[in-house]
Amino acid sequence: MDNTLYVSLSRQMTLRREMDIIANNIANADTTGFKVENLMVRTEPARPAHMSDGPNPVKFVLDDGVARDFTQGSMRATGAAFDLGIEGKGFFKVDTAAGDRFTRDGRFTLSPEGKLTTQDGDAVQGESGEIILDPAKGPVAIAQDGTISQAGEKVGKVGVFLFDDRSVLAKDRGNLLKNTSNAEPNPDTASRVRQGMLEGSNVNPILQITRMIEVSRAYESVVRTIENTADLSKRAVERLGRVA
Amino acid sequence: MQALRTAATGMSAQQLNVEVISNNIANMNTVGFKRQRAEFQDLLYQSLERAGTQSSDQGTVVPTGVQIGGGVKAGSTYRITTQGTATRTDNRYDVAIQGRGYLQVLLPSGETAYTRAGNLALNDQGQMVTEDGYLVQPQVTVPQDAVDITISKTGQVQATKEGVAAPEVVGQLELANFINEAGLEAIGDNLFMQSGSSGEPITGNPGATGFGTLLQGYTEASNVDAVSEITALIVAQRAYEMNSKVITTADEMLQAANQVKS
Repeated sequence: MDNTLYVSLSRQMTLRREMDIIANNIANADTTGFKVENLMVRTEPARPAHMSDGPNPVKFVLDDGVARDFTQGSMRATGAAFDLGIEGKGFFKVDTAAGDRFTRDGRFTLSPEGKLTTQDGDAVQGESGEIILDPAKGPVAIAQDGTISQAGEKVGKVGVFLFDDRSVLAKDRGNLLKNTSNAEPNPDTASRVRQGMLEGSNVNPILQITRMIEVSRAYESVVRTIENTADLSKRAVERLGRVA
Repeated sequence: MQALRTAATGMSAQQLNVEVISNNIANMNTVGFKRQRAEFQDLLYQSLERAGTQSSDQGTVVPTGVQIGGGVKAGSTYRITTQGTATRTDNRYDVAIQGRGYLQVLLPSGETAYTRAGNLALNDQGQMVTEDGYLVQPQVTVPQDAVDITISKTGQVQATKEGVAAPEVVGQLELANFINEAGLEAIGDNLFMQSGSSGEPITGNPGATGFGTLLQGYTEASNVDAVSEITALIVAQRAYEMNSKVITTADEMLQAANQVKS
């Protein structure tokens, strides 16, 4: 009998978690390079429940993983020289204190030493290490393959890297992604770097709000199931306990 | 419930966004103003099941894991230092900087501030000052008997005196450059101070390599684009509303849970 309660509870737990993820998607609907996430759930068969009319299968619902949707976000023009957007599947590589990180967030700036960094001051990796620029040499032009030139002269190249399997990337804070496997990314030649553009978040607000309504209604119906079950056992106790 | 707190971070981030946008719009007609942008980043992720961990002794690994984000944070406000359009004023002490560089201004405290606002004037001693009366560095003094004044593209200030055919050079305006000009600290009154992230100032004459040129009789308008600011305002407002919807929904879910009683 209590199985109904436990199965309902497992669904409630995943729904709450799903709500947390939707809330995070909506909160980041305007975060550059943010990739939308969905909770995946799976059925977890448990030991059959033995009842008077034989064993009954019981299946719980468990969260299986977060599916990250890496589709391209819309590009918007900003006009800033060090804003870079990637069209394609690649990532920028950033050297942080905690190791290499990958990002689609191309809001770069120069450090006091002229190093190309993220807004947090972590160095952006080029073809070979850090990128040092001297703004006095003239306006910085960044070509679609990442080549940086000043006054017609090549001064460096922004590295764009490609993962064969993007699911090895886990999110770290600050729009950064961490490589959780040993697989090394390859230089990406297919992606195009756009200067003066930023990739918006690929959160579709309508979809998220709709999913939120779904989650909230599903949660309510699970609550109803729990109420009904509790009611049932209450009535059973009342009726069966009555002495004729 | 995490969703409540997550939505709250979303609302406060959008609030900051609206504040930055409204400051841009308010300064649309401020000489030499550079628009700003609120920068958002996602917050710490809580890993409930780590990606890459083994899920069996056969060596199978969890492909994605369960990660729940904590919302959004406003990282910083970034100044976009693109050129504003030069606006004709016909005031002979107005200079617009075309290209990179800042005019140097001596503050009453003795510190040097930097500005793109070239709406200059003379004080009672004939010295070139900003609209707040702060001296422009290096100092330029215009003689009393000057009938006309010319500021060349390269910053040379020449005074024409009555009865004298050849103009006399009375001073030279200089510009200061920074490696990372977006890192300058704004102190109000169109002034900026050097900061740890801007780098040291590099001074030079206008027109030298890496420095912009001066344009007399013009001022540099702000680089705020009204249409894009209003669009950004609409986006921010809707995003704010969506986050408040999340709070309502999370609240309803908690309410439903609270009503379970037997």
